[in-house]
Amino acid sequence: MKQESNFSSDEQHRHDGAQETHQQAAREFATAEELLRFDAAQTVVPPPIAERLKQSAAQLAPPPRRTWWKNLFGR
Amino acid sequence: MTDPVQGPELMEPPPGAWPGDEIARLYAEHSRAIFYLALRFLGDPQRAEDATHDVFLKAFRKIDQFRGESSPRTWLYRIAINHCQNLLQSWHQRHVVANSDDAIWDHAPARTDSPLRVLETKELGQRIQKTLDQLSPEYRLLLLLVADEQLSYDQIAVLVGQSTDAVRGKLHRARKTFAALFEQTA
Repeated sequence: MKQESNFSSDEQHRHDGAQETHQQAAREFATAEELLRFDAAQTVVPPPIAERLKQSAAQLAPPPRRTWWKNLFGR
Repeated sequence: MTDPVQGPELMEPPPGAWPGDEIARLYAEHSRAIFYLALRFLGDPQRAEDATHDVFLKAFRKIDQFRGESSPRTWLYRIAINHCQNLLQSWHQRHVVANSDDAIWDHAPARTDSPLRVLETKELGQRIQKTLDQLSPEYRLLLLLVADEQLSYDQIAVLVGQSTDAVRGKLHRARKTFAALFEQTA
């Protein structure tokens, strides 16, 4: 006895749909440093650091200035 | 762990709003590089924030000692590396950290000449951090420094206290190890 195929056209359609590939944008990095460079460019410095630093620096005395002759001749 | 990435760009404060114009200029030009080094070397955003603050404050205190023999960025990196290494050392004394054996990965069949392929950049920071965390601090630091295009091999060699040839050799192994570990994070 010949068996009838249960594979309907609807199922065939679903099967085809499942085989559709997602278009994903792949990104390639030639080296580790290239990848890290990309990562660094995406990194944002948290704004609270600047605020904290301003407050901390304000509590310090102004840094001593080296005179031009000290820069030229050392101490 | 959340990565401080892909947020709004920091509006740098104008130099006049700071107690010292030098530190404001240094911060505006180099804060991203120093924060990134601290973030990926320490692997902790909060500690990286603290470290970045401390590094620039140290720089401000010592700015009279900066004689221009090296570039400001190299000088800041030196302060940052010392600071971060001291932090790591003190943590390691308090916690038992399982060090990965880089030698295993040195012999892994990693393709250093093949590209690192990334399909999804959303969680890329976490993958990078996971990979870096498994490297030795020495390899991690070398890769982070060589990623800065403003630094030459000679400058990196001075910063880590090794010869340029030694740095080149170690970077070759560090890249290979990174590639092998990064593939496993996919």
